[in-house]
Amino acid sequence: MPLSIDEISAIREILGREPTKVEAYMFEAQWSEHCSYKSSKHYLRLLPTKGKDVIIGPGRDAPAVKVFNNYAVVFKIESHNHPSAVDPYNGASTGVGGIVRDILTLGAKPIALLDLLFLGEPNDSYANWLIRGVVKGISDYGNRIGVPVVAGMTWFDKSYNTYPLVNVACVGVVELSKLLNNTPKAGDLIVIVGNSTGRDGVLGSSFASKPLEDDSNNIAAVQVGNPLIEKLLIDALNDAVSKGCVKYIKDLGGGGLTTAVSEITAEYELGAVVELNSLHVREDDMRPEEIIVSESQERMLIVTSKEQLQGLISVLEMYDLQYSVIGYLDSSKVIRIYYRGELVAEVPSSELARPQIKLWDVEVPEEHSSLSKELSVPKVTNFKDALLKLISSPNVASKEWVYSQYDYEVGVRTVVKPGYGDAAVLRLIEVDTYSGIAVKGDGNPRYTSIDPFRGAANAVGECFRNLVSVGSTPIAIVDELNAGNPEKPEKYWYFTQMVKGVSWMAQELNIPVVGGKVSFYNEDLSNATEVKPVTTIVGVGVINDIRKSQTLNLKHVGNYVLVVGVTYPELGGGELLYRYFSIEAGEVPLPRPSTELLNGSYVRRLIDFGYAASVHDVSLGGIAVALTEMCIKGRKGVYVDLKNVPERGCELQDLLFSETQGRYVVEVRREVLNKALEVAHDLGVHVGVLGVVSSGDILFRYSNVDVLEADVDELHEAYENALSKSIEG
Amino acid sequence: MIKFPGTNADLDVVWVLRNVVSLDASVVWFKEFKGKSYDAIVLPGGFSYGDWLRAGAIAARSKVIDEVIDASSNGVPILGICNGFQILTEAGLLPGALITNDSGKFLCKWVKVRVKRPRGPWLKLAYDDMTVDMPIAHGEGRYYIDSEVEHSPVIKYYGHNPNGSLFDIAGIASNDGLVMGLMPHPERAAEPELVPTGYTAGGLVVWRSLATSLKEGW
Repeated sequence: MPLSIDEISAIREILGREPTKVEAYMFEAQWSEHCSYKSSKHYLRLLPTKGKDVIIGPGRDAPAVKVFNNYAVVFKIESHNHPSAVDPYNGASTGVGGIVRDILTLGAKPIALLDLLFLGEPNDSYANWLIRGVVKGISDYGNRIGVPVVAGMTWFDKSYNTYPLVNVACVGVVELSKLLNNTPKAGDLIVIVGNSTGRDGVLGSSFASKPLEDDSNNIAAVQVGNPLIEKLLIDALNDAVSKGCVKYIKDLGGGGLTTAVSEITAEYELGAVVELNSLHVREDDMRPEEIIVSESQERMLIVTSKEQLQGLISVLEMYDLQYSVIGYLDSSKVIRIYYRGELVAEVPSSELARPQIKLWDVEVPEEHSSLSKELSVPKVTNFKDALLKLISSPNVASKEWVYSQYDYEVGVRTVVKPGYGDAAVLRLIEVDTYSGIAVKGDGNPRYTSIDPFRGAANAVGECFRNLVSVGSTPIAIVDELNAGNPEKPEKYWYFTQMVKGVSWMAQELNIPVVGGKVSFYNEDLSNATEVKPVTTIVGVGVINDIRKSQTLNLKHVGNYVLVVGVTYPELGGGELLYRYFSIEAGEVPLPRPSTELLNGSYVRRLIDFGYAASVHDVSLGGIAVALTEMCIKGRKGVYVDLKNVPERGCELQDLLFSETQGRYVVEVRREVLNKALEVAHDLGVHVGVLGVVSSGDILFRYSNVDVLEADVDELHEAYENALSKSIEG
Repeated sequence: MIKFPGTNADLDVVWVLRNVVSLDASVVWFKEFKGKSYDAIVLPGGFSYGDWLRAGAIAARSKVIDEVIDASSNGVPILGICNGFQILTEAGLLPGALITNDSGKFLCKWVKVRVKRPRGPWLKLAYDDMTVDMPIAHGEGRYYIDSEVEHSPVIKYYGHNPNGSLFDIAGIASNDGLVMGLMPHPERAAEPELVPTGYTAGGLVVWRSLATSLKEGW
């Protein structure tokens, strides 16, 4: 978004004069929504960011959380929505590049990527092109840099037909003694490393801070990636950090050089002197204002002392990476930019990094009360038909078409792989052979578009459950809030409600939100489509022994299947209503934090004690879908009596398809059923013995009446092939 | 392990050699490689030079490959995995070529392969028709050759050919088995913790064969 009149007069006041052209560009970049968080800062203060293991919270390029005493997990999420709408391949791939560099800034080694994709309907030809481009962009970039894409989520909805949401997250690990947490000092040198600076992505952050219009003019604002340079940056920086020749690193991301320099100087109350002519550029005739805001990819700013410089240079030269020493930090608290010896900008650093906070008006949109009110739900006439429809819904069906394009094995860490469990499990071989972490990302745009508070809170809850299901203890989350134009009160309302939902739920679950990102202006003006707002949550959990981690496929005929948690009639906003009745409304399931905590601790105990043989959380499509997925993945049948589901006020279709939060399905080894039930009794957890794993069909009964019988092979076929069929035609 | 710009599975192979079969192993940057100092050479997977031009094409024309060819003529076992296999075919050390998968897409998946006519340092402990599970992860893994391989050791996709390789070929070795190329990744299938339900740690046979061969010959 270009600067407002108020902002322009504020700049005049700060400088006491008219800004130079270079200064105007710098303010536009740095004060863009994307870089400054001016419309979100006020609300983001609500998030609980502290915890006993949080070493670095929000504020730096990435946060860090302590694991296994001597290590830190560094992880962060980012959106690349605007660029992906214009150029899906380059938009998505540079999103991956950017988030990986954020992890590098703390000296960490990137070990996993996650992608959270909100895509259009595969049978829409334009949406189909976007889907292929986004996935190929992530695939080509992620594979080439050798960081496995291990988890995430993919959602398909008409509202993303011309405008996808592309959120990517990266997880890194670093020994605490190597974590780059130094303070830059006056006299330190500023070195720019990596790709040369070109005209791509000039004012890209400003482009991302307004709605998407007719896109013919936007293509220059999209950056183009070079994964080979990124891979060299990863290797070289890991090397340089372990050799101790780096003091501080910053990514040149949104806002380019302007943002990197202004944030460092503002944070540490320093000034800087920069000579733009020293920088390696792609084209000789680049003007200073282009250089200072270019968002060319694969560039990083390194702060190093004069003594460390030679060591750094020898590492960079070994990897054939280009670099330029462009200036130094001083104590003036003023950023002075020179171009060919001439002073072209002189800005107080604290002012550049401190835009005016925007508090937009908030108005509850009219449709909210009608959408989210309680529905009288129509009756499902054919349960098997409903189950088949759900299992083959692109939102539920196997995402193998997506994840098989990613090298999820590189790194020899991926213990629980895509498609096998509720979260990915990675071993941390730098700690020891069996220590590990779980990672997962979640979001539900149908929930958040109907009820943003509950929807966002439920995303936190679902991420928590997914991490628990594989046997980990959740330790921290990051969030990405994808919303519309904040200047429209009824759009801004969604944002404020989503922040509040995340904040409340995280606080209740006692899990810190250590970082995140906000993406506004997700609207496509050329199409007048509503882009559904969504909150995505990426979480990390720790696992002491990866050999105990759980997958979701049923293991042995004769084992018992338990349902953990009480089921309520909560079909509102659910997959059944959407797929079977084409209804996208109703009361979204209530977030139930205390139940999440209690049931989560029970499931973790079943896993720790060795009672569980497989675990799956209950989410889209309820118990019926959860159990069916377990059968499909394990190539087993199940014999279920729905009468044993702990419930309040449910009809048959609620027992099968309700999306009540806080529930799990657990396969328990036959000989330990009573022990498992005793633990539940001791903790006060509601558990029902649903049935027994069989070698036959999936059979749901209620007392003596058959409710639903289906052949596992038929469901398998539908589940495994639905998505690739709908994309490939 | 020879590391080119863009090689990304170097440390994975080192991990397995050191921790699973207790061999000493190190990563050597391609500019610093001297062939005479090593008992065996692995060209690990990744995207050397970003796969520009064709997978493996640029690395195959770098000076270090002359050293590798020298080493092979001196009887040093050489294994190329994935991108390493692509480099070996580009360099002419192994026959055939690897072209884009018939799906046109990158594919990461666990597969079953069968070993035919095993011999040499990399397959010493394998037996004929042994079924081995390993994951593949490549975009250019479709093996192309004029006629069926009659004499050298080969490794063939078993049950399902994932990329349209001719004669189902997933890997091939020189006649004496000294130089071998594999599209599947044996280093990713060498520890039980990393093996998904329904598969076994098939890659182990390659690393155990090497460890035994280096001690006892082959």
